[in-house]
Amino acid sequence: MAEQSRNAWISKDDPKLVSARQKDMFEDILEDRRHSSDLRYSLKTRDVTTFKLNKPRVPLQIKEHVMKSDRVNFAIDQTCLDTKLPREEIVAEAMSILDEMAHNLRTGAVRGFAFFLIKVMKSLYRRIYVNVDGIQKIRGLIKEYPILLMPSHRSYMDFLLMSYVFYNYDLPLPVIAAAMDFMGMKFFGWLLRNSGAFYIRRSFGEDHLYWAIFTEYVQCQICNGDNPIEFYVEGTRSRTAKSYTPKFGMLSAALEPYFKSHIPDIIVVPVSISYDRILEESLYAYELLGVPKPKESTSGLLKARKILEENFGNIHIVFGQPISIRKYSEGLVDRSLHNLAPRYIASLTNQEQDLIKKLGHHMVLTQQKHMVVSPWSLMASVLMQSQGGVSLRQLGKEVEWVKRQASNLGAYCDWPASESAESVLRANLKLHENIVRVSQEDVVELVRVAPPAHAKATDAMMITAGQHLMLSLYRNHILHVFVRPAMIAISVNTCNEERLSIDDLYTKYTFLENLLCKDFVFIPGNTKADFELALLTLTHTCGVVMENNEVVIAKSTNKHTTFYSHMFEPFLLGYWILCQYLLSNHPNVAGKPLAKTQKNLVKEAQMLTARLLQEGVVKHYEMLSLDMMNNGLHALYSMGGVSKERRDGVVYMYPNMRQLSTITDYLAKFVDVPPLPSVSINLHSKTITVNAKL
Amino acid sequence: MASKKTNGPAADDKRKMVLCQKIQTNTCASKNDSGALDPEPPTIPKRRQELLKWNGWGYKDSKFFVNKDGHVEFTGERYRISGSTMPGMREWMIKTIGVSLDHKAPAQPEVCAANIPLPVKNDGFLSDLRKTSISHSDDCQDRLFRAHGHTLHEIFLLREGKFERIPDIVVWPVCHDEVVKLVQLACKHNVVIIPFGGGTSVSNALECPVEEKRMIVSLDTSQMNRILWVDEKNMTMRAECGIIGQDLERKLAERGLCTGHEPDSMEFSSLGGWVATRASGMKKNIYGNIEDLLVHVKMVTPRGVMEKNCQVPRMSSGLDIHHFVLGSEGTLGVVSEVTMKVRPLPQCKKYGSIVFPNFECGVNCMREVAKQRCAPASIRLMDNEQFQFGHALKVESNSILANFMDGLKKLYITKLKGFDPMKMAVATLLFEGTKEEVAALEKRVYEIAAQFRGIPGGADNGERGYMLTFVIAYIRDIGFDYYVVAESFETSVPWDRCLDLCQNVKERLYRECKDNGIQYPPYVTCRVTQTYDAGACIYFYFAFNYRGISNPVGVYEHIEACAREEILANGGSISHHHGIGKIRKRWLRKTVGDIGLGAMQAVKQYIDPNNIFGNNNLMIGHNLSDGATPVQEPSNVMLPSKL
Repeated sequence: MAEQSRNAWISKDDPKLVSARQKDMFEDILEDRRHSSDLRYSLKTRDVTTFKLNKPRVPLQIKEHVMKSDRVNFAIDQTCLDTKLPREEIVAEAMSILDEMAHNLRTGAVRGFAFFLIKVMKSLYRRIYVNVDGIQKIRGLIKEYPILLMPSHRSYMDFLLMSYVFYNYDLPLPVIAAAMDFMGMKFFGWLLRNSGAFYIRRSFGEDHLYWAIFTEYVQCQICNGDNPIEFYVEGTRSRTAKSYTPKFGMLSAALEPYFKSHIPDIIVVPVSISYDRILEESLYAYELLGVPKPKESTSGLLKARKILEENFGNIHIVFGQPISIRKYSEGLVDRSLHNLAPRYIASLTNQEQDLIKKLGHHMVLTQQKHMVVSPWSLMASVLMQSQGGVSLRQLGKEVEWVKRQASNLGAYCDWPASESAESVLRANLKLHENIVRVSQEDVVELVRVAPPAHAKATDAMMITAGQHLMLSLYRNHILHVFVRPAMIAISVNTCNEERLSIDDLYTKYTFLENLLCKDFVFIPGNTKADFELALLTLTHTCGVVMENNEVVIAKSTNKHTTFYSHMFEPFLLGYWILCQYLLSNHPNVAGKPLAKTQKNLVKEAQMLTARLLQEGVVKHYEMLSLDMMNNGLHALYSMGGVSKERRDGVVYMYPNMRQLSTITDYLAKFVDVPPLPSVSINLHSKTITVNAKL
Repeated sequence: MASKKTNGPAADDKRKMVLCQKIQTNTCASKNDSGALDPEPPTIPKRRQELLKWNGWGYKDSKFFVNKDGHVEFTGERYRISGSTMPGMREWMIKTIGVSLDHKAPAQPEVCAANIPLPVKNDGFLSDLRKTSISHSDDCQDRLFRAHGHTLHEIFLLREGKFERIPDIVVWPVCHDEVVKLVQLACKHNVVIIPFGGGTSVSNALECPVEEKRMIVSLDTSQMNRILWVDEKNMTMRAECGIIGQDLERKLAERGLCTGHEPDSMEFSSLGGWVATRASGMKKNIYGNIEDLLVHVKMVTPRGVMEKNCQVPRMSSGLDIHHFVLGSEGTLGVVSEVTMKVRPLPQCKKYGSIVFPNFECGVNCMREVAKQRCAPASIRLMDNEQFQFGHALKVESNSILANFMDGLKKLYITKLKGFDPMKMAVATLLFEGTKEEVAALEKRVYEIAAQFRGIPGGADNGERGYMLTFVIAYIRDIGFDYYVVAESFETSVPWDRCLDLCQNVKERLYRECKDNGIQYPPYVTCRVTQTYDAGACIYFYFAFNYRGISNPVGVYEHIEACAREEILANGGSISHHHGIGKIRKRWLRKTVGDIGLGAMQAVKQYIDPNNIFGNNNLMIGHNLSDGATPVQEPSNVMLPSKL
């Protein structure tokens, strides 16, 4: 064939041949490792670029700096005053906090770590794709500015991957803000610490000393640009494969040095990591159901070794456009407001806090934007809506349709061009054979998932629910693409009038956004713009018809609006059940609804859902997710349906009956609510029908 | 609008006059009396352009040029470097800012008469003026010379363009009473007065407001240059406002005295100008800044003469009217006479220098010196870029021994001490006092320096450092000849932010140059030039090669404004001693707040309701209720202690 080539320039005369190593803007970084010595790779000389204002120092010197800093000494003095303990004791406490926290990044350990990582990566994953232009941008900036890396967080693998990518491209290894959980692990905890992980407590309340040490520790490394600093703006691993709403503590601490003019600028880089298959999928599913996650331990890790024999597909890592904080805050922040107090006293102005909020949301949305949508996610979104099973042919057709819509809405779908749709489908079904299978009649159906070992004898419903939740993880991966148009679609689909004015539509949209704002991420104050864009998208691509600023309902109800509505139905229904449960919390004795802890409320709402599922009143098993109930509860709190109060330092919540019943009634307009086995309760002469006792 | 009569001769008689018995401060007659201290002709002639460059800095006979061997040489006989070549200079210019000797940008030969605006004439004022004996001129070149100070913008206009508005007439009063007369006439006829001292302003303070339709009178104080009396009992002296720094010090030195006030411009700047701009002198550590030196000041305002009735070291008398005068920048009136402290001339004067491995060590050392309050007359820390520049300015030495010693010194510092020549910073020192005082202080300062890894670097390096500050203004002119625009700006900052400010401002300058499409690497350097208990004064030099840029001055001004924003964001001030003028007006509100600005305006409103002193500096023209967002309350909130 080669000799007969029509064109000498072409070496492989096969138009269908697509390089798997280079794909779009991606490059596979595992390919080369499969053909060369891992040992040599882990011992390679690394010519690392460093920040130009950096003064080289070892981890021990960082600790010394922290202990000597004005900020920590100020906090120590304050603590002495507050606790009336001798200074030496407080200093000793500070030292122990710092020892617990500090990383000990060392080249030796890094090389060992790299050797270990490459083995793991090669056995777990087929390919690890990285967008090379993103890496090049970072390489250029690392010399000029301190760098903050903010990856999405959906698996433990995230920080191993980040370190691995940086090692691979000869960039300075990031130091990583890790949760305390890992520290307990015997060998692994040590290895991580020596590879750049530093440990922070999840919450340290009013512990000013801890806060001061933590802040100084992070900030001095940013100012000196020792290493890029990596942390998760979502705060923790997302168990649902949806983005969590951003947390601002770490971000505030990291940006304060810029606001206080310690350094000329800070660059933040959003990173999106998309997995074809998530390592912890079944752990997550059961955790969402309320089975506690096992404590991280090395033996647990070793037991998990059997997963090394499984295939977890590809990973796509996208380094987003780096953002200069200086440019981002231009005209929004007046740094000179900090001129009137010493800089070691922690403070941020209102402008700065607003900016941090905006930036946090912006980061999460950017991560979402760069998520790569796998065929399996598209399939999952269809499968979630056809739980009775669907033929492979039909699935193919539907997936093709969803793919089109997702692309139109700006998602990047990873669909191999060189393969037939059926083989893509089959390959993905194979990859996820623990969740789905194809029957002999070519019908795709869910398989029973064995609960993880630590979840003791769970009942049948929990097992079914686990299976559904696992599938929902992958659908969740693309929900952010659809959520805004869907909120309009839902409003349109459930409208009983012939026409719906744009103002009414916006009112409905706003209500839904308020309700969904914990499950999905919206930039605060951006509702109007989001709404307009979503409406425009729907009218231009999905057949929604507008006349004289009114939606013509009959013409606008179509496959798009129906599909989108169904996609989000479980959330609305789940919230509705939560509302019903809360309303049933009748003011019996005290004349005021019984306050309960959030945990109890959520747990009991889940029990109600379970019962309704059992009775066949509702059918979405994913509504058993505690995460969904928690988010619903928080949304209701922010909408005024629920109140909080502190008792002995613990937060108790109770419903505001009047407000909550208004919300519930309004919510019921957006989703088909089932009739409930009824019991009447009386609330200020208004009768509400709720489910009986649990 | 009657001018208040001030304390007459009778009051003066009661004081012990050491040197001049028959001085009468308020009568012009004394001007021509032989008994005065000043028999010689004025150092600065009325026609300044005959002595000084009309479109550059300093004396006409002194300038840098590239000689036939392609080396940089300094002309004239005035200065120590006059007639010398600086072999390292050409290399430095080429390497550091990308100057090419083949690309010259010569200045226009003159601003021709056609490009000089016609004078606005107030006939009533002119006829009244002619009735007095006050010297005046409406000559084009006389007017042009008083239309500007020495900002980059102004000098660039002189070299390449024209002024839209210049003074319509120049007047030369010779004494306080003539000033009073002039101000009265101005008020009567509603004409504007802009006081003009040495003309060394670097804040656009002398620029005539373009929109000013009234006649503008430039009040040149150069002929009011007498020392009126010296009082050794109280160690004070009184002089007229127009006396320039070098004359003042020279004449006092004849009596074994000095004021010790030495701003870098002291060759040309005037006493009245120092007071009106809140000047600062190099040796303030011993002698104090102008506000510390000032004992009494007389200011002629449209309302009359403002002054205190006694010359006491300190008093509690409500708001201090001296502080209305200091820094008023010609917006309230003309300073006519000043009483200042004097000191005996120091017995011993000694230069010194300290070499530090890096700038940070140097700053820490300066901070410690300030903390221990043992700063010599002057202590300045140059960063590495400035140190290298100073090196390039070394004059050619014919002495083999000197060259040999230089080599040895270099070897010692770089090899034995391990200092990186690309990171080193140098502090220059000037000690003054008795021999014993100097010796003791020297010992103490070098001991402190040693704690910060500083090693003595010799007197030569120190002296050259100080020379640089006088020479730098001349250097800008040769820069212009080769497409380089350059300027300096300064600020004051608390100690804890000193290093960060230097770093961030430099960084900002580099970045803005890049963003503004400047093709060549800019030259950015700073030095810590003054130390105080609570902070320091920082001085930046910034230059870039503008080949390929169509609007170098606009770009320069934009970048300097960015740098000032950065300074303010870093806890620095709007200015340490250059003042506000017009160039920094936009940050005044932010600096003093709405109330502060309103109070300034109220003072202006009372003293000068018709805006006779309408040079448009400081707060004038700011509208309090106008648009600008009020300064936000510093609503700092504690950080949440939760992740």
